[in-house]
Amino acid sequence: MAGALLLEVGIALVTLALVGALAHRFRQSVIPGYIAAGILVGPYVPTEIGGISLRLVGNSEFVSTVGELGIILLLFFLGLEFNVGTLVANKTRLAKLGGLDLVLNGIMGVLIGYVFGFGVTGIILITGIVYISSSAIITKSLTDAGWLANPESDVILSTLVVEDIVIAVYLAVVSALVLGGGTFAEATMTVVQAFVFLAALAAVAYLGTDYIERIFDVGPDELFVLRIVGVAVLIGAIALSIGVSEAVAAFFVGTAFSETDLIERIEHLVTPLRDIFAAVFFFSIGLSTDLRVVAGVALLLLVAVILTTGTKLISGYASGRVYGLSTLRSTRVGMGLVARGEFSLIIATLASTSAIPVIRNTVPAFAVGYVLVMSLLGTLLIEYEDTISSVLGISP
Amino acid sequence: MVIYEADVPGVGKRYEVETGDTERFVVIVHHDGKREIFRRDHPDADAEKLFEFPAGVSREIVTALQGVDFQPLDLDDVDMPLGNAIMEWVEIPDDSPLAGETIQAAQLRQKTGATVAAIQREDDTLASPKADTVLQPGDILVVIGTRPEQKSFESLIKTGSTETSN
Repeated sequence: MAGALLLEVGIALVTLALVGALAHRFRQSVIPGYIAAGILVGPYVPTEIGGISLRLVGNSEFVSTVGELGIILLLFFLGLEFNVGTLVANKTRLAKLGGLDLVLNGIMGVLIGYVFGFGVTGIILITGIVYISSSAIITKSLTDAGWLANPESDVILSTLVVEDIVIAVYLAVVSALVLGGGTFAEATMTVVQAFVFLAALAAVAYLGTDYIERIFDVGPDELFVLRIVGVAVLIGAIALSIGVSEAVAAFFVGTAFSETDLIERIEHLVTPLRDIFAAVFFFSIGLSTDLRVVAGVALLLLVAVILTTGTKLISGYASGRVYGLSTLRSTRVGMGLVARGEFSLIIATLASTSAIPVIRNTVPAFAVGYVLVMSLLGTLLIEYEDTISSVLGISP
Repeated sequence: MVIYEADVPGVGKRYEVETGDTERFVVIVHHDGKREIFRRDHPDADAEKLFEFPAGVSREIVTALQGVDFQPLDLDDVDMPLGNAIMEWVEIPDDSPLAGETIQAAQLRQKTGATVAAIQREDDTLASPKADTVLQPGDILVVIGTRPEQKSFESLIKTGSTETSN
Protein backbone atom coordinates (compact mmCIF):
# COMPACT_ATOMS: atom_id res chain seq x y z
CA MET A 1 0.00 0.00 0.00
CA ALA A 2 2.67 2.47 1.09
CA GLY A 3 4.80 1.21 -1.82
CA ALA A 4 2.07 2.02 -4.34
CA LEU A 5 1.62 5.52 -2.93
CA LEU A 6 5.34 6.12 -2.92
CA LEU A 7 5.47 5.05 -6.55
CA GLU A 8 2.74 7.57 -7.41
CA VAL A 9 4.60 10.35 -5.64
CA GLY A 10 7.81 9.38 -7.39
CA ILE A 11 6.10 9.41 -10.79
CA ALA A 12 4.51 12.76 -9.99
CA LEU A 13 7.80 14.40 -8.98
CA VAL A 14 9.79 12.99 -11.89
CA THR A 15 7.08 14.07 -14.36
CA LEU A 16 7.19 17.56 -12.85
CA ALA A 17 10.97 17.63 -13.08
CA LEU A 18 10.87 16.66 -16.76
CA VAL A 19 8.13 19.11 -17.67
CA GLY A 20 9.85 21.86 -15.67
CA ALA A 21 13.10 21.27 -17.57
CA LEU A 22 11.21 21.36 -20.87
CA ALA A 23 9.43 24.63 -19.98
CA HIS A 24 12.71 26.13 -18.86
CA ARG A 25 14.37 25.09 -22.10
CA PHE A 26 11.73 26.89 -24.16
CA ARG A 27 11.68 29.85 -21.79
CA GLN A 28 8.05 29.35 -20.92
CA SER A 29 6.24 29.50 -17.62
CA VAL A 30 6.33 26.20 -15.75
CA ILE A 31 2.77 26.52 -14.46
CA PRO A 32 0.88 25.42 -17.61
CA GLY A 33 3.44 22.64 -17.98
CA TYR A 34 2.78 21.33 -14.47
CA ILE A 35 -0.97 21.36 -15.09
CA ALA A 36 -0.54 19.59 -18.43
CA ALA A 37 1.65 17.00 -16.74
CA GLY A 38 -1.11 16.31 -14.24
CA ILE A 39 -3.71 15.96 -16.99
CA LEU A 40 -1.46 13.60 -18.94
CA VAL A 41 -0.75 11.08 -16.18
CA GLY A 42 -4.04 11.57 -14.34
CA PRO A 43 -7.19 9.46 -14.26
CA TYR A 44 -9.05 11.30 -17.05
CA VAL A 45 -8.55 11.35 -20.82
CA PRO A 46 -6.17 11.10 -22.54
CA THR A 47 -5.55 7.84 -20.71
CA GLU A 48 -3.51 6.24 -23.45
CA ILE A 49 -1.52 7.04 -26.56
CA GLY A 50 -1.35 4.26 -29.16
CA GLY A 51 -2.36 1.64 -26.64
CA ILE A 52 0.25 2.65 -24.08
CA SER A 53 -1.39 3.60 -20.84
CA LEU A 54 -0.54 7.06 -19.55
CA ARG A 55 -2.61 6.59 -16.46
CA LEU A 56 0.12 6.58 -13.89
CA VAL A 57 -1.29 8.53 -11.02
CA GLY A 58 -4.76 8.49 -9.56
CA ASN A 59 -6.04 11.64 -7.91
CA SER A 60 -4.69 10.47 -4.61
CA GLU A 61 -5.50 12.10 -1.34
CA PHE A 62 -1.80 12.48 -0.69
CA VAL A 63 -1.01 14.51 -3.80
CA SER A 64 -3.87 16.90 -3.19
CA THR A 65 -2.84 17.34 0.46
CA VAL A 66 0.70 18.24 -0.59
CA GLY A 67 -0.91 20.59 -3.12
CA GLU A 68 -2.75 22.25 -0.22
CA LEU A 69 0.63 22.89 1.39
CA GLY A 70 1.54 24.59 -1.88
CA ILE A 71 -1.46 26.91 -1.60
CA ILE A 72 -0.61 27.71 2.00
CA LEU A 73 3.01 28.54 1.22
CA LEU A 74 2.09 30.59 -1.90
CA LEU A 75 -0.19 32.79 0.17
CA PHE A 76 2.22 32.81 3.10
CA PHE A 77 4.82 34.39 0.82
CA LEU A 78 2.28 36.86 -0.45
CA GLY A 79 1.75 37.97 3.14
CA LEU A 80 5.48 37.98 3.76
CA GLU A 81 6.07 40.48 0.98
CA PHE A 82 3.10 42.56 2.02
CA ASN A 83 4.39 45.85 3.36
CA VAL A 84 1.95 48.23 5.00
CA GLY A 85 4.50 51.06 4.93
CA THR A 86 4.91 50.88 1.16
CA LEU A 87 1.15 50.73 0.76
CA VAL A 88 0.50 53.80 2.85
CA ALA A 89 3.34 55.73 1.22
CA ASN A 90 1.92 55.08 -2.26
CA LYS A 91 -1.76 54.91 -1.42
CA THR A 92 -2.99 57.43 -4.00
CA ARG A 93 -1.02 55.88 -6.79
CA LEU A 94 -1.90 52.33 -5.81
CA ALA A 95 -5.56 53.24 -5.49
CA LYS A 96 -5.58 54.61 -9.04
CA LEU A 97 -3.72 51.69 -10.63
CA GLY A 98 -5.52 49.06 -8.60
CA GLY A 99 -8.88 50.75 -9.10
CA LEU A 100 -8.57 50.79 -12.89
CA ASP A 101 -7.46 47.17 -12.88
CA LEU A 102 -10.21 46.02 -10.52
CA VAL A 103 -13.07 47.93 -12.09
CA LEU A 104 -12.37 47.15 -15.76
CA ASN A 105 -11.52 43.48 -15.31
CA GLY A 106 -14.07 42.95 -12.57
CA ILE A 107 -16.93 44.35 -14.66
CA MET A 108 -15.91 42.17 -17.58
CA GLY A 109 -15.89 39.10 -15.31
CA VAL A 110 -19.35 39.90 -13.98
CA LEU A 111 -20.67 40.42 -17.51
CA ILE A 112 -19.25 37.13 -18.78
CA GLY A 113 -20.59 35.20 -15.79
CA TYR A 114 -24.01 36.82 -16.17
CA VAL A 115 -24.31 36.27 -19.93
CA PHE A 116 -23.37 32.62 -19.56
CA GLY A 117 -26.15 32.15 -17.05
CA PHE A 118 -24.26 31.61 -13.82
CA GLY A 119 -25.88 32.45 -10.51
CA VAL A 120 -24.46 34.88 -7.98
CA THR A 121 -21.83 32.49 -6.58
CA GLY A 122 -20.77 31.44 -10.10
CA ILE A 123 -20.46 35.06 -11.23
CA ILE A 124 -18.35 35.95 -8.18
CA LEU A 125 -16.05 32.98 -8.76
CA ILE A 126 -15.60 33.66 -12.49
CA THR A 127 -14.97 37.34 -11.80
CA GLY A 128 -12.22 36.41 -9.36
CA ILE A 129 -10.66 33.96 -11.81
CA VAL A 130 -10.46 36.43 -14.70
CA TYR A 131 -9.54 39.44 -12.56
CA ILE A 132 -6.43 38.26 -10.81
CA SER A 133 -3.10 38.22 -12.65
CA SER A 134 -0.40 35.76 -11.76
CA SER A 135 2.34 37.23 -9.56
CA ALA A 136 4.51 34.15 -10.02
CA ILE A 137 4.41 34.05 -13.83
CA ILE A 138 4.63 37.80 -14.32
CA THR A 139 7.52 38.33 -11.92
CA LYS A 140 9.43 35.52 -13.60
CA SER A 141 8.71 36.87 -17.09
CA LEU A 142 9.75 40.40 -16.12
CA THR A 143 13.02 39.02 -14.80
CA ASP A 144 13.64 37.01 -17.97
CA ALA A 145 12.79 39.92 -20.26
CA GLY A 146 15.00 42.33 -18.33
CA TRP A 147 12.11 44.72 -17.69
CA LEU A 148 12.75 44.84 -13.96
CA ALA A 149 15.03 47.84 -14.35
CA ASN A 150 12.51 49.69 -16.54
CA PRO A 151 9.80 52.04 -15.27
CA GLU A 152 6.94 49.86 -16.57
CA SER A 153 7.83 47.15 -14.06
CA ASP A 154 7.02 49.56 -11.22
CA VAL A 155 3.47 49.96 -12.50
CA ILE A 156 3.06 46.25 -13.20
CA LEU A 157 4.36 45.18 -9.78
CA SER A 158 2.36 47.89 -7.99
CA THR A 159 -0.80 46.61 -9.67
CA LEU A 160 0.06 43.10 -8.52
CA VAL A 161 0.49 44.36 -4.96
CA VAL A 162 -3.04 45.78 -4.99
CA GLU A 163 -4.40 42.57 -6.52
CA ASP A 164 -2.74 40.59 -3.74
CA ILE A 165 -4.66 42.54 -1.12
CA VAL A 166 -7.90 42.33 -3.05
CA ILE A 167 -7.50 38.59 -3.43
CA ALA A 168 -6.88 38.12 0.30
CA VAL A 169 -10.13 39.91 1.13
CA TYR A 170 -11.91 38.18 -1.77
CA LEU A 171 -10.84 34.71 -0.65
CA ALA A 172 -11.88 35.45 2.91
CA VAL A 173 -15.39 36.40 1.84
CA VAL A 174 -15.87 33.92 -0.98
CA SER A 175 -14.52 30.91 0.87
CA ALA A 176 -16.91 31.69 3.67
CA LEU A 177 -19.74 31.88 1.12
CA VAL A 178 -18.77 28.67 -0.66
CA LEU A 179 -17.74 26.66 2.39
CA GLY A 180 -20.64 27.99 4.44
CA GLY A 181 -23.13 27.12 1.71
CA GLY A 182 -26.69 26.60 2.83
CA THR A 183 -28.92 29.46 3.81
CA PHE A 184 -28.11 33.13 3.79
CA ALA A 185 -28.04 33.19 7.59
CA GLU A 186 -25.55 30.34 7.69
CA ALA A 187 -23.36 32.02 5.12
CA THR A 188 -23.45 35.28 7.04
CA MET A 189 -22.53 33.42 10.20
CA THR A 190 -19.50 31.88 8.47
CA VAL A 191 -18.43 35.25 7.10
CA VAL A 192 -18.63 36.80 10.57
CA GLN A 193 -16.73 33.88 12.06
CA ALA A 194 -14.11 34.18 9.34
CA PHE A 195 -13.58 37.86 9.98
CA VAL A 196 -13.31 37.44 13.75
CA PHE A 197 -10.66 34.79 13.24
CA LEU A 198 -8.79 36.85 10.64
CA ALA A 199 -9.00 39.99 12.76
CA ALA A 200 -7.40 38.07 15.63
CA LEU A 201 -4.64 36.86 13.31
CA ALA A 202 -4.11 40.36 11.94
CA ALA A 203 -3.89 41.78 15.45
CA VAL A 204 -1.21 39.26 16.40
CA ALA A 205 0.61 39.99 13.14
CA TYR A 206 0.46 43.73 13.71
CA LEU A 207 1.23 43.91 17.41
CA GLY A 208 3.47 40.93 17.90
CA THR A 209 6.46 41.74 15.69
CA ASP A 210 9.06 41.78 18.48
CA TYR A 211 7.60 38.74 20.16
CA ILE A 212 7.39 36.78 16.90
CA GLU A 213 10.95 37.67 16.08
CA ARG A 214 12.15 36.29 19.40
CA ILE A 215 10.15 33.07 19.18
CA PHE A 216 11.24 32.22 15.65
CA ASP A 217 14.85 33.38 15.65
CA VAL A 218 16.54 30.04 16.26
CA GLY A 219 20.05 29.14 15.21
CA PRO A 220 19.82 25.90 13.22
CA ASP A 221 18.19 26.34 9.80
CA GLU A 222 16.36 23.07 10.18
CA LEU A 223 14.54 24.16 13.35
CA PHE A 224 13.83 27.54 11.84
CA VAL A 225 12.17 26.09 8.73
CA LEU A 226 10.18 23.62 10.82
CA ARG A 227 8.82 26.38 13.04
CA ILE A 228 7.83 28.65 10.16
CA VAL A 229 6.21 25.97 8.01
CA GLY A 230 4.69 24.25 11.01
CA VAL A 231 2.95 27.39 12.23
CA ALA A 232 1.75 28.38 8.74
CA VAL A 233 0.26 24.94 8.07
CA LEU A 234 -1.24 24.51 11.54
CA ILE A 235 -2.97 27.90 11.51
CA GLY A 236 -4.16 27.22 7.94
CA ALA A 237 -5.64 23.91 9.06
CA ILE A 238 -7.34 25.43 12.11
CA ALA A 239 -8.79 28.12 9.86
CA LEU A 240 -10.15 25.54 7.44
CA SER A 241 -11.79 23.57 10.24
CA ILE A 242 -13.83 26.60 11.30
CA GLY A 243 -14.80 27.50 7.74
CA VAL A 244 -12.11 30.10 6.94
CA SER A 245 -9.95 29.80 3.83
CA GLU A 246 -6.60 28.24 4.79
CA ALA A 247 -5.03 30.39 2.07
CA VAL A 248 -6.16 33.63 3.69
CA ALA A 249 -5.05 32.46 7.11
CA ALA A 250 -1.63 31.69 5.64
CA PHE A 251 -1.56 35.18 4.13
CA PHE A 252 -2.00 36.70 7.58
CA VAL A 253 0.62 34.40 9.08
CA GLY A 254 2.92 35.70 6.35
CA THR A 255 2.17 39.34 7.20
CA ALA A 256 3.15 38.61 10.80
CA PHE A 257 6.69 38.07 9.56
CA SER A 258 6.76 40.92 7.06
CA GLU A 259 8.00 43.46 9.62
CA THR A 260 10.58 41.22 11.25
CA ASP A 261 14.26 40.76 10.47
CA LEU A 262 13.57 37.13 9.65
CA ILE A 263 12.22 37.90 6.22
CA GLU A 264 15.44 37.32 4.29
CA ARG A 265 16.12 34.05 6.04
CA ILE A 266 12.61 32.87 5.23
CA GLU A 267 12.96 33.91 1.58
CA HIS A 268 16.22 32.05 1.42
CA LEU A 269 15.24 28.84 3.19
CA VAL A 270 11.53 28.38 2.57
CA THR A 271 11.30 29.41 -1.10
CA PRO A 272 12.52 26.03 -2.42
CA LEU A 273 9.92 24.30 -0.26
CA ARG A 274 7.18 26.60 -1.58
CA ASP A 275 8.25 25.95 -5.16
CA ILE A 276 8.12 22.18 -4.83
CA PHE A 277 4.76 22.18 -3.03
CA ALA A 278 3.33 24.71 -5.48
CA ALA A 279 4.43 22.49 -8.37
CA VAL A 280 2.53 19.61 -6.78
CA PHE A 281 -0.48 21.91 -6.37
CA PHE A 282 -0.53 22.70 -10.12
CA PHE A 283 -0.02 19.02 -10.82
CA SER A 284 -2.95 18.03 -8.61
CA ILE A 285 -5.10 20.58 -10.46
CA GLY A 286 -4.14 18.81 -13.68
CA LEU A 287 -4.94 15.42 -12.15
CA SER A 288 -8.47 16.44 -11.29
CA THR A 289 -9.08 18.02 -14.69
CA ASP A 290 -11.28 16.20 -17.15
CA LEU A 291 -10.55 17.60 -20.60
CA ARG A 292 -14.04 16.61 -21.77
CA VAL A 293 -15.52 19.04 -19.25
CA VAL A 294 -13.06 21.72 -20.38
CA ALA A 295 -14.20 21.11 -23.97
CA GLY A 296 -17.76 21.52 -22.72
CA VAL A 297 -17.02 25.09 -21.65
CA ALA A 298 -15.11 25.90 -24.85
CA LEU A 299 -17.33 28.81 -25.84
CA LEU A 300 -17.15 30.38 -22.38
CA LEU A 301 -13.40 29.86 -22.50
CA LEU A 302 -13.00 31.49 -25.90
CA VAL A 303 -15.10 34.51 -24.97
CA ALA A 304 -13.35 34.94 -21.64
CA VAL A 305 -9.87 34.66 -23.17
CA ILE A 306 -10.56 37.29 -25.82
CA LEU A 307 -12.45 39.78 -23.69
CA THR A 308 -10.32 39.60 -20.55
CA THR A 309 -7.09 39.82 -22.53
CA GLY A 310 -8.59 43.01 -23.93
CA THR A 311 -9.55 44.44 -20.55
CA LYS A 312 -6.12 43.71 -19.03
CA LEU A 313 -4.43 45.39 -22.00
CA ILE A 314 -6.70 48.41 -21.62
CA SER A 315 -6.51 48.70 -17.83
CA GLY A 316 -2.74 48.21 -17.95
CA TYR A 317 -2.34 50.79 -20.70
CA ALA A 318 -4.51 53.27 -18.80
CA SER A 319 -2.51 52.65 -15.60
CA GLY A 320 0.72 53.32 -17.47
CA ARG A 321 -0.71 56.56 -18.82
CA VAL A 322 -1.92 57.67 -15.39
CA TYR A 323 1.58 57.07 -14.12
CA GLY A 324 2.97 59.19 -16.96
CA LEU A 325 4.58 56.46 -19.03
CA SER A 326 5.03 56.61 -22.81
CA THR A 327 2.75 54.76 -25.23
CA LEU A 328 5.22 51.91 -25.59
CA ARG A 329 5.74 51.46 -21.86
CA SER A 330 2.02 51.73 -21.12
CA THR A 331 1.37 49.05 -23.75
CA ARG A 332 3.95 46.90 -22.00
CA VAL A 333 2.15 47.34 -18.68
CA GLY A 334 -0.97 45.92 -20.30
CA MET A 335 0.91 43.02 -21.86
CA GLY A 336 2.72 42.38 -18.61
CA LEU A 337 -0.50 41.86 -16.68
CA VAL A 338 -2.22 39.39 -19.03
CA ALA A 339 -0.89 36.16 -17.46
CA ARG A 340 -3.27 34.48 -15.02
CA GLY A 341 -2.13 31.60 -12.89
CA GLU A 342 -1.91 30.41 -9.31
CA PHE A 343 -4.62 32.58 -7.75
CA SER A 344 -7.18 31.73 -10.42
CA LEU A 345 -6.46 28.09 -9.68
CA ILE A 346 -6.81 28.62 -5.93
CA ILE A 347 -10.25 30.07 -6.65
CA ALA A 348 -10.93 27.00 -8.81
CA THR A 349 -10.01 24.70 -5.91
CA LEU A 350 -12.47 26.64 -3.82
CA ALA A 351 -15.12 26.28 -6.53
CA SER A 352 -14.63 22.51 -6.60
CA THR A 353 -15.86 22.34 -2.99
CA SER A 354 -19.09 24.18 -3.81
CA ALA A 355 -22.41 22.52 -2.96
CA ILE A 356 -23.88 23.68 -6.28
CA PRO A 357 -23.24 20.95 -8.92
CA VAL A 358 -22.96 23.33 -11.91
CA ILE A 359 -20.27 25.35 -10.17
CA ARG A 360 -18.49 22.29 -8.84
CA ASN A 361 -18.29 20.78 -12.32
CA THR A 362 -17.79 23.63 -14.74
CA VAL A 363 -15.98 26.44 -12.92
CA PRO A 364 -12.80 24.49 -12.08
CA ALA A 365 -12.63 23.11 -15.64
CA PHE A 366 -13.09 26.61 -17.00
CA ALA A 367 -10.37 27.94 -14.68
CA VAL A 368 -7.88 25.28 -15.75
CA GLY A 369 -8.48 25.88 -19.46
CA TYR A 370 -8.37 29.63 -18.91
CA VAL A 371 -5.11 29.54 -16.92
CA LEU A 372 -3.49 27.23 -19.50
CA VAL A 373 -4.24 29.72 -22.28
CA MET A 374 -3.64 32.94 -20.34
CA SER A 375 -0.37 31.84 -18.75
CA LEU A 376 1.05 30.94 -22.16
CA LEU A 377 -0.38 34.04 -23.80
CA GLY A 378 0.94 36.30 -21.03
CA THR A 379 4.43 34.82 -21.21
CA LEU A 380 4.50 35.05 -25.01
CA LEU A 381 3.29 38.67 -25.01
CA ILE A 382 6.18 39.70 -22.78
CA GLU A 383 8.69 37.58 -24.68
CA TYR A 384 7.70 38.89 -28.12
CA GLU A 385 6.74 42.41 -27.04
CA ASP A 386 9.33 44.08 -29.27
CA THR A 387 8.12 42.26 -32.38
CA ILE A 388 4.47 43.00 -31.58
CA SER A 389 5.18 46.65 -30.82
CA SER A 390 7.11 47.17 -34.03
CA VAL A 391 4.31 45.49 -36.05
CA LEU A 392 1.82 47.81 -34.36
CA GLY A 393 4.12 50.73 -35.06
CA ILE A 394 4.58 51.69 -31.40
CA SER A 395 8.01 53.17 -30.90
CA PRO A 396 9.65 54.41 -27.74
CA MET B 1 26.10 60.84 -5.58
CA VAL B 2 22.51 59.75 -5.25
CA ILE B 3 21.50 56.11 -4.84
CA TYR B 4 17.82 55.33 -5.26
CA GLU B 5 16.72 52.28 -3.37
CA ALA B 6 13.39 50.56 -3.93
CA ASP B 7 11.68 47.35 -2.92
CA VAL B 8 10.67 45.21 -5.85
CA PRO B 9 7.73 43.14 -4.59
CA GLY B 10 8.32 39.43 -5.01
CA VAL B 11 11.78 39.97 -6.44
CA GLY B 12 14.04 41.75 -4.00
CA LYS B 13 15.60 45.21 -4.08
CA ARG B 14 16.62 47.64 -6.77
CA TYR B 15 19.39 50.21 -6.50
CA GLU B 16 19.86 52.95 -9.06
CA VAL B 17 22.99 55.09 -9.10
CA GLU B 18 23.30 58.28 -11.12
CA THR B 19 26.55 57.91 -12.99
CA GLY B 20 26.31 60.67 -15.56
CA ASP B 21 24.04 63.47 -16.69
CA THR B 22 21.30 61.04 -17.60
CA GLU B 23 22.97 57.67 -17.32
CA ARG B 24 22.07 55.32 -14.53
CA PHE B 25 23.60 52.17 -13.18
CA VAL B 26 20.96 49.73 -11.92
CA VAL B 27 21.52 46.78 -9.63
CA ILE B 28 18.73 44.34 -8.86
CA VAL B 29 19.36 42.06 -5.90
CA HIS B 30 17.04 39.07 -5.98
CA HIS B 31 15.87 37.30 -2.85
CA ASP B 32 17.82 34.22 -3.91
CA GLY B 33 21.04 36.24 -3.93
CA LYS B 34 21.27 36.66 -7.68
CA ARG B 35 22.45 40.10 -8.82
CA GLU B 36 21.61 41.68 -12.14
CA ILE B 37 23.44 44.73 -13.41
CA PHE B 38 21.77 47.06 -15.89
CA ARG B 39 22.70 50.30 -17.56
CA ARG B 40 20.18 52.92 -18.55
CA ASP B 41 21.40 55.46 -21.06
CA HIS B 42 18.79 58.08 -20.34
CA PRO B 43 15.45 58.10 -18.51
CA ASP B 44 13.49 57.04 -21.61
CA ALA B 45 15.84 54.27 -22.64
CA ASP B 46 15.28 50.60 -21.99
CA ALA B 47 17.58 49.12 -19.44
CA GLU B 48 20.37 47.15 -21.01
CA LYS B 49 21.39 44.11 -19.02
CA LEU B 50 25.14 43.96 -18.61
CA PHE B 51 25.83 41.18 -16.15
CA GLU B 52 24.23 38.62 -13.93
CA PHE B 53 25.95 36.71 -11.19
CA PRO B 54 25.30 34.79 -7.98
CA ALA B 55 25.89 36.25 -4.52
CA GLY B 56 29.39 34.81 -4.08
CA VAL B 57 30.75 36.26 -7.31
CA SER B 58 29.29 39.68 -6.57
CA ARG B 59 31.15 39.76 -3.25
CA GLU B 60 34.40 39.05 -5.09
CA ILE B 61 33.63 41.87 -7.50
CA VAL B 62 32.92 44.27 -4.68
CA THR B 63 36.27 43.56 -3.01
CA ALA B 64 37.92 44.27 -6.35
CA LEU B 65 36.03 47.56 -6.70
CA GLN B 66 36.82 48.52 -3.14
CA GLY B 67 40.51 47.96 -3.78
CA VAL B 68 41.01 45.54 -0.93
CA ASP B 69 43.96 43.83 -2.62
CA PHE B 70 45.22 46.60 -4.84
CA GLN B 71 44.92 50.40 -4.77
CA PRO B 72 45.96 52.29 -7.86
CA LEU B 73 48.45 55.08 -6.99
CA ASP B 74 47.29 58.62 -7.08
CA LEU B 75 50.53 60.35 -8.13
CA ASP B 76 49.57 63.59 -6.40
CA ASP B 77 49.63 61.82 -3.11
CA VAL B 78 51.93 58.88 -3.28
CA ASP B 79 53.15 57.03 -0.29
CA MET B 80 54.88 53.70 -0.23
CA PRO B 81 55.48 51.73 2.94
CA LEU B 82 59.09 50.93 3.93
CA GLY B 83 58.71 49.32 7.32
CA ASN B 84 57.69 52.15 9.64
CA ALA B 85 58.89 54.72 7.15
CA ILE B 86 57.14 55.73 3.97
CA MET B 87 58.36 57.31 0.79
CA GLU B 88 56.76 60.51 -0.39
CA TRP B 89 57.25 62.92 -3.27
CA VAL B 90 57.38 66.51 -2.04
CA GLU B 91 57.55 69.41 -4.46
CA ILE B 92 59.36 72.61 -3.53
CA PRO B 93 56.92 75.45 -4.09
CA ASP B 94 58.08 78.69 -5.77
CA ASP B 95 57.69 80.64 -2.55
CA SER B 96 59.45 78.09 -0.39
CA PRO B 97 61.80 79.83 2.09
CA LEU B 98 64.30 77.04 1.48
CA ALA B 99 64.55 77.52 -2.29
CA GLY B 100 68.11 78.44 -3.17
CA GLU B 101 69.59 76.91 -0.03
CA THR B 102 71.79 73.84 0.02
CA ILE B 103 70.53 70.70 1.70
CA GLN B 104 73.14 71.20 4.42
CA ALA B 105 72.10 74.81 5.11
CA ALA B 106 68.45 73.90 5.18
CA GLN B 107 69.23 71.28 7.87
CA LEU B 108 66.49 69.07 6.49
CA ARG B 109 67.55 65.88 8.23
CA GLN B 110 68.54 67.50 11.49
CA LYS B 111 65.24 69.32 11.88
CA THR B 112 62.81 66.67 10.67
CA GLY B 113 64.54 63.29 10.78
CA ALA B 114 63.51 62.57 7.17
CA THR B 115 66.07 61.86 4.46
CA VAL B 116 66.10 63.12 0.90
CA ALA B 117 66.77 59.99 -1.17
CA ALA B 118 66.63 61.61 -4.59
CA ILE B 119 65.65 64.77 -6.39
CA GLN B 120 63.68 64.85 -9.57
CA ARG B 121 64.57 68.00 -11.48
CA GLU B 122 62.87 68.41 -14.83
CA ASP B 123 63.74 65.20 -16.66
CA ASP B 124 66.78 64.38 -14.53
CA THR B 125 66.92 62.39 -11.36
CA LEU B 126 69.69 63.20 -8.89
CA ALA B 127 70.11 60.06 -6.82
CA SER B 128 71.57 60.46 -3.29
CA PRO B 129 71.94 64.27 -3.47
CA LYS B 130 75.00 65.64 -1.68
CA ALA B 131 74.98 68.11 1.19
CA ASP B 132 75.93 70.97 -1.13
CA THR B 133 73.11 70.33 -3.60
CA VAL B 134 71.06 73.51 -3.99
CA LEU B 135 67.28 73.18 -3.67
CA GLN B 136 65.41 74.80 -6.54
CA PRO B 137 61.73 75.72 -6.89
CA GLY B 138 59.96 72.94 -8.79
CA ASP B 139 62.29 70.23 -7.51
CA ILE B 140 60.48 67.09 -6.48
CA LEU B 141 62.18 65.56 -3.46
CA VAL B 142 61.85 61.85 -2.84
CA VAL B 143 61.69 61.75 0.94
CA ILE B 144 61.98 58.78 3.25
CA GLY B 145 60.74 58.99 6.80
CA THR B 146 58.01 58.07 9.22
CA ARG B 147 54.65 59.72 8.95
CA PRO B 148 55.36 62.43 11.59
CA GLU B 149 58.76 63.07 9.98
CA GLN B 150 57.10 63.47 6.58
CA LYS B 151 54.65 65.88 8.08
CA SER B 152 57.25 68.17 9.61
CA PHE B 153 59.35 67.88 6.42
CA GLU B 154 56.49 69.18 4.29
CA SER B 155 55.87 71.94 6.77
CA LEU B 156 59.56 72.91 6.73
CA ILE B 157 59.61 73.08 2.92
CA LYS B 158 56.47 75.21 2.79
CA THR B 159 56.89 77.52 5.76
CA GLY B 160 60.51 77.24 6.90
CA SER B 161 59.35 75.87 10.25
CA THR B 162 58.74 72.32 11.45
CA GLU B 163 55.74 73.40 13.54
CA THR B 164 52.75 71.71 11.96
CA SER B 165 49.43 73.32 12.41
CA ASN B 166 46.58 70.87 12.56
